[in-house]
Amino acid sequence: QQTTLDEWAKDPLVDPEIRAHVYSLISALGGTGDDGTYQLGDDALLCLKDLRKWLKFADGQLNRRDVARCMAEANLVKGDLLEILAKVSEMVTHDKPKHRIAVASLELLVPLTWPFEIDPVEATVNHHRHGPYIQLAQINYKRDILQFDRARILQTAVRIALPSMAIPLRERPPRDEGVIRIALYFIRNIVMLSPPKNIPLDGDEAEISRSATIDTLQEQDIFQVMLSIASSIGEDFVTQDVIILEILFYLLKGIDAEQLFMEEKKLSTKNTEELKNLIQKEKSMLASYARHAPSRHNRFGTMIWVKRDEDKVSTISGQDVLGKAQKSIQKMDTTKKWNKPKRPGRKKDDEQAREEFDLPIALTLSAQKSLKAFVEEFLDSSFNPLFMHLRKAIERENDRVETRHSRQYFYLASWFLRAECARRRTIKERAADRKSTEVLTAEDESYGLVAEVMNQETFVLMNRFMQKSEDEKAWQDLNAGMKCFTQILLTVQEMADSALEEDQEIAENILNRIFYEESTHDRVVSVLRSYKDQGFGYLDACTELSHVFLRMLERYSKQNVDMQVRCRKRARKIRKKQAQAQGVDNNEDGNVSETEDITAAQRTVSDRKFDFHRFAAKFVNQSSVNTFISFLKFYQDMDTEQLKRAHRFLYRVAFKMELAVLLYRVDILQLLNKMIKGPEGLDFESPCFKEWEEFVRHFFRSVVKRVQDRPELVVEMLFSKIPATIFYLEHGYDRELPTRT
Amino acid sequence: ATTDAGLGIDEEIKIVKKRQPVPKLDENRLLSSAGVPKLRKITKDRLKFKGKGHEYGDVARMLNMYQLWLDDLYPRAKFADGLAMIEKLGHTKRIQFMRKEWIDEGKPKTTMELDREE
Repeated sequence: QQTTLDEWAKDPLVDPEIRAHVYSLISALGGTGDDGTYQLGDDALLCLKDLRKWLKFADGQLNRRDVARCMAEANLVKGDLLEILAKVSEMVTHDKPKHRIAVASLELLVPLTWPFEIDPVEATVNHHRHGPYIQLAQINYKRDILQFDRARILQTAVRIALPSMAIPLRERPPRDEGVIRIALYFIRNIVMLSPPKNIPLDGDEAEISRSATIDTLQEQDIFQVMLSIASSIGEDFVTQDVIILEILFYLLKGIDAEQLFMEEKKLSTKNTEELKNLIQKEKSMLASYARHAPSRHNRFGTMIWVKRDEDKVSTISGQDVLGKAQKSIQKMDTTKKWNKPKRPGRKKDDEQAREEFDLPIALTLSAQKSLKAFVEEFLDSSFNPLFMHLRKAIERENDRVETRHSRQYFYLASWFLRAECARRRTIKERAADRKSTEVLTAEDESYGLVAEVMNQETFVLMNRFMQKSEDEKAWQDLNAGMKCFTQILLTVQEMADSALEEDQEIAENILNRIFYEESTHDRVVSVLRSYKDQGFGYLDACTELSHVFLRMLERYSKQNVDMQVRCRKRARKIRKKQAQAQGVDNNEDGNVSETEDITAAQRTVSDRKFDFHRFAAKFVNQSSVNTFISFLKFYQDMDTEQLKRAHRFLYRVAFKMELAVLLYRVDILQLLNKMIKGPEGLDFESPCFKEWEEFVRHFFRSVVKRVQDRPELVVEMLFSKIPATIFYLEHGYDRELPTRT
Repeated sequence: ATTDAGLGIDEEIKIVKKRQPVPKLDENRLLSSAGVPKLRKITKDRLKFKGKGHEYGDVARMLNMYQLWLDDLYPRAKFADGLAMIEKLGHTKRIQFMRKEWIDEGKPKTTMELDREE
């Protein structure tokens, strides 16, 4: 920390003149008065405005971050701004000058806490220089604001905006809209700020965790404010919808909605079970290590020869390989030093993208409780109006809607659907329990609370969004879209199983709409097939979507035997032939009609009978197998549900569709063998183990049999199969093509 | 005179040692005698299966065979890496052609014989 002018002048980081100006303004702001409390300076308001100007013009227009850094070093936030807010907090709603000062402070706090990101196009050297310092400073701001003991800062921010909120929408001047906006952005910033993962943090991380944030929001009644804004969106509030969306997104991302609604007792048993499982997992891991660990000290110096053909030998050292052929072969492999160079070129922000929402967050009990209460109330009162309003805004491509908002919208839609389903399940369980007095009411039974994301408009938007993000290779967007789609399907399924006839009818209707478009079917297939290096979260989402989609479609098409789909038809050829038949003499308008033909061909749609078996066959091919195999490579980190999903798919490939030949590949055999026989295999105690063991045994038996029948397979097992030979390899004879007469 | 001297005789010739090229696992290597032909040979003699009840042992033995074969063919690479490289080679025209040949070799020629008998 520099203190004297000389030191400032020598400081290479910040322009000394800027520092001098900013520091003098900060000291003129105020300080501890005679009575030991904070005293405002004479021109405090002007100082605040000047500081804001510095931040805006010196940093904003010159594209630097010097002023922000000076303010962080001078402890402006904790030393002055929070003190000022605490001082005026009580009188802010009725004292005009105090209100003005409070607004000016908030106007400084919002840009200071604005999440810092380095824009690769705009950033200068300056940004990179100050980046880490400012990020850490912002985390400290968050800590100070959450833990400030003399006043409720977040509540004060809301109180500042209250007079503006009280004005009806039509009479509200733009200045008041602005005040509401900065108050909400302030809350968003605080919720959003999270410790940067590349910079070590000093201090207690629990003080700024999601749980701490939720506790503070609860304690300062911010949830109430959010509820009242969200429920009257479209009436008293319009442009605030996206800010509420962002607050919700940063509040909820990564939190397990199912867990939130588990009953406390069940949750604690689940937690102990989880702990037990983890201990068990570790035990089995250690045991598997002990099985292969050396039994003597590490300088025991054993060395063995492995005899190979043509009188060659390989040497391996270490006593752990003694007498274990399998182990020695493994060791020969692991001691190789060369690694296949990974292809560069994948974007580096992969990890950051994963952080977006695939990172699970754990909550403390108190935070869980208050968040649960909030989510319940939100579902009851605000979900439909807010999501309808947002959907319309996204559809119209309003100016305030940015690209990230549609991603957040779909993620939250899936989150709340999941939450609602989980809640209904607990309500039902409680009602079914004879000891409790609760009864199901009609309201509990209906899905009206989430109806707004289950209508045709949303499906259209979602389909368009998924298509667009697939075309643009915006994988995180597509991930959110897939999550939403999957959750909608799951919700519909629960609806279809509901006791009410009305619900069943609605579910039937929705499924009708979803399954009617053939383009939807094709998209699910193509997303699954085109996976390439998008990371585990994405893999999880796309495999889950195809799993759920296929299962539900199967059920649906069984119930509706004469199901129709709308598909595009290639009509151009037919039209051309017709035109030719009509005669060549209308050559002049031939060009025109051809372009017309093309557009017509693109538009022509027709209904076709749906054949589930043919559709399922689309899922079974080399690229989707590859996707599931890359998913399965994470078997050690997968939960039961995910393991099951992979199992079902491979089962379908190998035995239902009789295309096991797609799986006859050495790397797949090795993976499956490793999963069951280790080392580092699947845990024996895990509930899926038996299923997998059975499957792999069956599959291996078929492999052995096939290889004996057709020795050509030995070579083919090195490669992905080519379509020309698949049929022969599977059946042992060529497909007889129907001869045309 | 200076031009005469500058014929370049006096100038020292710099010898830049060329780096030894890293052996590659490519089509040629895969098709050489240590490659697929050898694999076809050794599987004929050596791949014995115990059959029902010994599925895991059978497959493990088969995997070991592949691993040792690959280690002879291209000792640099680990098993998984080598497999990935070979799999990729399988997408080339030449290897695909050869794969078809290999399969066709194994096909029974029953149709031809039947024709003759008739």
